[in-house]
Amino acid sequence: MVGHAATVAMVGLQAVPVTVEAHAGAGLPGLQIIGSSQAAGQAAERVRTALSSSGVSLPGRKLLISLAPADVPKGGARFDLAIAAAVLAELGVIAHEVLARCVVMGELALDGAVRPVSGVLPCAASIAGTDRRLIVCDANAAEAALVEDLDVVAVDHLGELIDVLTGESPPRGAGQPCATVPPAPPDLADVRGQPEARRALEIAAAGGHHLLLLGPPGCGKSMLAKRLPSVLPPLSDADALEVAAIRSVAGSGSGYLDRTPPFQAPHHSASVAALFGGGSGVARPGVISLSHRGVLFLDELFEWPRSVVEALRQPLEDGVVRVARARATVTYPARVQLVCAANPCPCGGGERCSCTDEAIWSYRARLSGPLADRLDLAPAVQPLTAGDLLQAGGAESSAVVAERVARSRDAALARGWDGLNAHIPAHAVRRTARAQALRILADAVEAGELTGRGYDRALRVARTCADLEGSELVETHHVYEAHAHRLGLRSPQAMLAR
Amino acid sequence: MTPVIPSGTPPAWAGELAGEADPELVARIVRLAATTWATPERIRQVVDTRLDGPTPTAAAVVETLERLAAAGRSLADEKAVAAAARALAAHRVRVRIPGEPGYPPRLLQAWPELGAPLWLFEWTADGALPDGPAVAVVGTRHPTLDGVATARELAAHLARHGVTVVSGMARGIDQAAHLGAIEAGGRTVGVLGAGFGVDYPRRDGAVRQSVWRAGGLLTELLPGTPPRKRTFLWRNRIIAGLSDMTVVVEGRSGSGALHTARMAISQGRDVMAVPGPVRSPTSRAPLDLIRDGATPLTRIDDVTDALGIAALLAPSPDDTTPPGLSTTAGTVLPLLGASPAQPAALAAQTGATIPAVMAAIAELTARGLAAGTPRGVVRVRP
Repeated sequence: MVGHAATVAMVGLQAVPVTVEAHAGAGLPGLQIIGSSQAAGQAAERVRTALSSSGVSLPGRKLLISLAPADVPKGGARFDLAIAAAVLAELGVIAHEVLARCVVMGELALDGAVRPVSGVLPCAASIAGTDRRLIVCDANAAEAALVEDLDVVAVDHLGELIDVLTGESPPRGAGQPCATVPPAPPDLADVRGQPEARRALEIAAAGGHHLLLLGPPGCGKSMLAKRLPSVLPPLSDADALEVAAIRSVAGSGSGYLDRTPPFQAPHHSASVAALFGGGSGVARPGVISLSHRGVLFLDELFEWPRSVVEALRQPLEDGVVRVARARATVTYPARVQLVCAANPCPCGGGERCSCTDEAIWSYRARLSGPLADRLDLAPAVQPLTAGDLLQAGGAESSAVVAERVARSRDAALARGWDGLNAHIPAHAVRRTARAQALRILADAVEAGELTGRGYDRALRVARTCADLEGSELVETHHVYEAHAHRLGLRSPQAMLAR
Repeated sequence: MTPVIPSGTPPAWAGELAGEADPELVARIVRLAATTWATPERIRQVVDTRLDGPTPTAAAVVETLERLAAAGRSLADEKAVAAAARALAAHRVRVRIPGEPGYPPRLLQAWPELGAPLWLFEWTADGALPDGPAVAVVGTRHPTLDGVATARELAAHLARHGVTVVSGMARGIDQAAHLGAIEAGGRTVGVLGAGFGVDYPRRDGAVRQSVWRAGGLLTELLPGTPPRKRTFLWRNRIIAGLSDMTVVVEGRSGSGALHTARMAISQGRDVMAVPGPVRSPTSRAPLDLIRDGATPLTRIDDVTDALGIAALLAPSPDDTTPPGLSTTAGTVLPLLGASPAQPAALAAQTGATIPAVMAAIAELTARGLAAGTPRGVVRVRP
């Protein structure tokens, strides 16, 4: 009989069941792996040595290992423990029927110790609800235990796997849930002054709108951006698991469920692959996917290569990134809230700025029209005055703002909208607006101040302004406010139009 | 004395370029235009030093220059002259000479001591430059939003009152003036700092085309002559000389607009200047001119008043709050001026909330009472 062990491979975020078969037969003694072009050579040596270190003597026969299905890309050392388990079943060390009720994942050290692998959380989720147990190393156990309705067994050594599966020692569970409390995001109370930017941040948080902070260096653009997660509602269970799964695949999984919306601030020298996902064979998630359900902060927007900024448009629109590589095309979620920061003019701006309006226009023209069309709010962040610095306390804390944001989001839910205002189709938003209010936006389109897409976006922002005020209908002053927040996004032509 | 140029029948092309003027003189002028040393400065020098007595005719100046050539400096050869003539004909240019028909009458007043050119190449859609009063509207190539709006409005106002708007075709205030006149359905004349057929300002062919259609284009440079610093200075004396009055909208210290205004003063023409904020670098030229005696333009009508033209339209409304504004917009509007204001400061001043101030700003912008600039909100007149 052939030894079978079940394990899981990751193709992007998708968990694919893989069966490991082991057969001992005639031939030169040794261990050979087929069904995978990548992992083969190294895994064989590692598993053989780990088995000997654990006191299992290999027979003088040829051990053939097959990883099926053969056309699933299988990289890394994540199948080591499953290969060892299949060999043990083939050799009769552990019973076939015991192993059949287990899914095994782990990398082996030469001394037989079991090491953690990436992507445990989505793998665990894929087998939850079946009667099979998941066997992983200690370091992965807490992460796997985040999935409900799943029996997780932790092993720290190949010997322990044998003992547990032969019944010689009792299986250890995942243990106590990790006591680590995620660090709280910084608080909005630290920000002095900036009423315009604070208001824009609140609207952005309530409606999921994209934000561009314009201000001279040192005025607190990054500071504001970093505080956006603190006013966003905590992630729901499903969203938090989704976020954790992406982190798990990226190899930065943790043993606790982080409900703080992610915040990622890549540097402008980041490559396209780092941002959107990449790597040979099967692409790994990029920064944009790691900020899924959270905030992607692009500081110094005008320093970013144009190609990267342009490439952002598709994920912003679709909420997913598709990365094609030789072995597989994978789709990672990328429903991000974009926050950008830029200097307002070529010299950096501030009190001493002597740039001509023309120079500022040509500088702003680098904010390509199509991307400007996908941003919603562009508040001016002012340089701090001495008065702001001396002001003792007084600024609203994140908790107060978060409460208003939550109330505004509840209002959208109460309308029966399943999503943030920023993602609701324009025709649905239009039905909740007064005709007069729509007329104002239509006039702005006619005057060349708004594009068609800008019309829809301004309307969604106006909807959020109305929700923050607790107004059922979008009134004229909501539309005016939404339009005012867009003034910084206008093209030079639109500025001259009036 | 033997004539420098053998008299006889002028070449066939001369008649075509001359229009009503004397073809023989036109032929000699084109030869001079193709001669590199015959610059406006040189001609001026000849007029100042070698010609005494009453106002010399163009023919006399040409004669003197040709003598100068005979005395050592050679004139352009036949090949160069033929090439110049071909290029001029290709652009359907008329050559205008002081004292001959077609030369702009106001410019003739500045002939010759005040710097009017010995020849002008004129390119118009209907064969003649617009007549009647003319005002030059000039200013910086790097204007503020307010400067562009002022130049446009001023030019449109002049155009509606039948005044031709003269300017130098440069980006910024100059083009705003040309376009303002065109949009109002009026006439405008562009004086180029380069020859015809040179794409300068680059990629602004469409603007040159529309100015050509709405009035005409002028230059004293042969087709294909590239723009140089001195060609702009030459151009400025023509702009000033063509106009009854020169209005400077915005300019930095040492700007070309300041030079044009100085030329206008030296030609005895009126100069007005649009006062701007004292701290703004673009106000330097107009404020310096006002300090030196130029008339400040305090409202758009001032320019037509100064020309003695009765305002066609009702005088501009006083600074009252327009009806139909929301309460916050009504309180924000009086706080706006030429210097950009920030929403935070407006909120602090009025005691209104930020959302209300933002809404008021957009409302005022939509009503055409304010404009959002990259630096903040400014007041504009509807």
